[in-house]
Amino acid sequence: MGDQERGKLNVHSYSAELQARLERGAPGDFVVRDPGPLFKHKLADDIFNLCRANSLWPMTFGLACCAIEMMSLGMARFDISRFGSEVFRPSPRQSDLMIVAGTVNKKMASAVMTLYDQMPSPKWVIAMGNCAISGGPFAVEENYNVIEGVDKLIPVDVYVPGCPPRPEGLLEGILKLQEKISGVRHPFPQRKISDAPSY
Amino acid sequence: MGNLAENNTLHADLEPAIDIPSDNHYYLNMGPQHPSTHGVLRVLLEMDGEYVVEAQPVLGYGHRMQEKMGELKNWRAFMPNTGRMDYAAALQYNHGYVGLYERLCGIEVPARAEYIRVITSELNRIVSHHLWIGAMLLDMGAFTPILYTFDDREQVLDILEDVTGSRLTYCYFRVGGVCKDIDDNFIEKTRAFIKRQRERFDIYNDLVTGNIIFIKRTEGIGIISPDMARRYGVTGPVLRGSGIAYDVRKNEPYSVYPNFDFEIPVGQNGDSYDRYMVRLEEIEQSLRIIEQALDQLPDGPFLGKVPKKLKMPTGDCSFAVEAARGELTYYLVSGGGDIPYRLKIRVPSYSNLSVLPELCQGMLLSDLVAAMGSMDLVIPEIDR
Amino acid sequence: MHPATEKLISALQELSIQVDACDYQQRGYHFEIDLEADKLRSLAECMLAQEMFLVFVGGLHVKPAIEIVYQFASFERACRLVVRAAVKADNSMPTISDIYQGANWHERETRDFYGVVFTDHPYLKPLILAEEDVDLKPLLKKDEDLKETSEVRWAAPVEEKPEAEKAEQG
Ligand code: SF4
Repeated sequence: MGDQERGKLNVHSYSAELQARLERGAPGDFVVRDPGPLFKHKLADDIFNLCRANSLWPMTFGLACCAIEMMSLGMARFDISRFGSEVFRPSPRQSDLMIVAGTVNKKMASAVMTLYDQMPSPKWVIAMGNCAISGGPFAVEENYNVIEGVDKLIPVDVYVPGCPPRPEGLLEGILKLQEKISGVRHPFPQRKISDAPSY
Repeated sequence: MGNLAENNTLHADLEPAIDIPSDNHYYLNMGPQHPSTHGVLRVLLEMDGEYVVEAQPVLGYGHRMQEKMGELKNWRAFMPNTGRMDYAAALQYNHGYVGLYERLCGIEVPARAEYIRVITSELNRIVSHHLWIGAMLLDMGAFTPILYTFDDREQVLDILEDVTGSRLTYCYFRVGGVCKDIDDNFIEKTRAFIKRQRERFDIYNDLVTGNIIFIKRTEGIGIISPDMARRYGVTGPVLRGSGIAYDVRKNEPYSVYPNFDFEIPVGQNGDSYDRYMVRLEEIEQSLRIIEQALDQLPDGPFLGKVPKKLKMPTGDCSFAVEAARGELTYYLVSGGGDIPYRLKIRVPSYSNLSVLPELCQGMLLSDLVAAMGSMDLVIPEIDR
Repeated sequence: MHPATEKLISALQELSIQVDACDYQQRGYHFEIDLEADKLRSLAECMLAQEMFLVFVGGLHVKPAIEIVYQFASFERACRLVVRAAVKADNSMPTISDIYQGANWHERETRDFYGVVFTDHPYLKPLILAEEDVDLKPLLKKDEDLKETSEVRWAAPVEEKPEAEKAEQG
């Protein structure tokens, strides 16, 4: 059995683009594709960004275990809609936030990239869970299938570690993203906890 | 069954390379990113109008090399992986794996540990069914029930989190017992949950079971006959919906299941509705098991004496448990030492899903979603 | 023994297949069969006639030839069978996917992982692995790890501890 050569991912033929992306590592030059702000005006830009930060629409895109925690976040107890991100869209064309929740493997990689490319700019990516960050528990030496980190394929804005991260963790990730977009953490504050009625 | 040969020629046509289908058939690609495929299942469909002519699932979008990793690691190191295969019912996967080593090496488990195992894995089964009810109805367009089931689910997760330390991907069992004892607080909370869950059944029934839209969309849809189930190796609630009372907990009892009095709910028609009813009834049966186990809970150690490095005899061993989705079998071949030579993991949904091509012929596309939802698929479990 | 199980055993013996009983407490199954690849299809037909279902099909890479492991069980009673068959010289195995349709995917998966060709399989395309990885065969062992068949056969533990008798029942 001569074909013992498994291990690192570049052994096998890929679509050319995927191969190129894997070799390049963090894809810095993707920013070029972004057409830039709608108006080249600081105030307008700030206002737009505030609006964007407060209404991030994530894509329904569960890959593995972490997806269940992503679902929990949308449900009653954690309630992501307090921060304006409850509108989970099944189509990439209607969403601006991709939460990569789970393990990306070789077969899935091209689909992930296609979905990313289909999202309209401006768009953001949260890598949720160790798998999406670095391959997590599957980054073993004999790895023949799992992509060790989704940032090899698409640019990632916020990393949320954990296996799986708790829903609060992802929530914090979304808040961080809002901070990144608008410059302020939590642009439109909700009620303070002390003001909230006790149940 | 007779038309299998014909189907197979169709399979050949269904390759992604586009060749224009004859008459009015067209191809539809569903997944791998599709809200109703629960993750990353991809189904290639040949359609005639809105009717499915042929469906060919494509797996592997969640393949995570679990069997390979099973051959590289000893039990301690592989334990966390078991919880990540079927993350919706992780404890049963833990249970199968530790049971395997205990059987192979002849390790005795303290009685208290066995009871704790049963209590926690039945709680996990309930959680899994909660998730399923919500997700299936979400597939069919009903958003409200998932809010209710997730509410209940969080109650159980709180209880489990107290003892296991995680919410989802548990790694709680150890060869020879469990890693942490349960306390009075746990028992109290579990009893409170049982009471609460019994009251919640009324809500489920009001909201879903008697709902005319739900009944119309599930009754008579996706009928799996007992004969078909046997040919495909279907197990779990999907099989019991078809009227065969097969449950590993009764058939080949493991752990302390023989000490409990519980029933195996079965359906009659084998349609999606029956599968729903079976799962709902299973929650009640799990509650009964937990109640009895809490009453009988013996004192004593929760972790037996286990050597640091297990010495496995050479040979093979198999251990089957009833996971939330059906029969889970670990089959281990050992060549001595403490690392398995081969670890085959038979996951229930794999066989359950393989019915799909035969099941959905001539079905409406929207019914396919209902039928697929009723099977309770977890794709990373299928792909391993 | 359950009468249906007895019937199954005698039906298998009629096909001149030797069935060995195992200790369930230690092995987790009741009977084991070592089989030549040629008899596989008649065995599968017999199993289906006796109302057994296919639990799984899996590969096992040993010297001199890869073995395919089949496990059967019954819906009605406690009866579990493990069948091992070594592949033929040209790395092929007859398919049973027309008898047990559930074997279809298991066989495709085994082809993915071990490269065993199932003759007459209707659609032997990669199932789990990507199309490009047809020749990856990830579960084949490295040469230095490869063991002889006899090294992975059941050998009762050497020193019998008194409590080792009783497995599992708490
Ligand atoms: S990070 Fe952990 S929980 Fe999340 S997908 Fe990976 S294995 Fe599953």
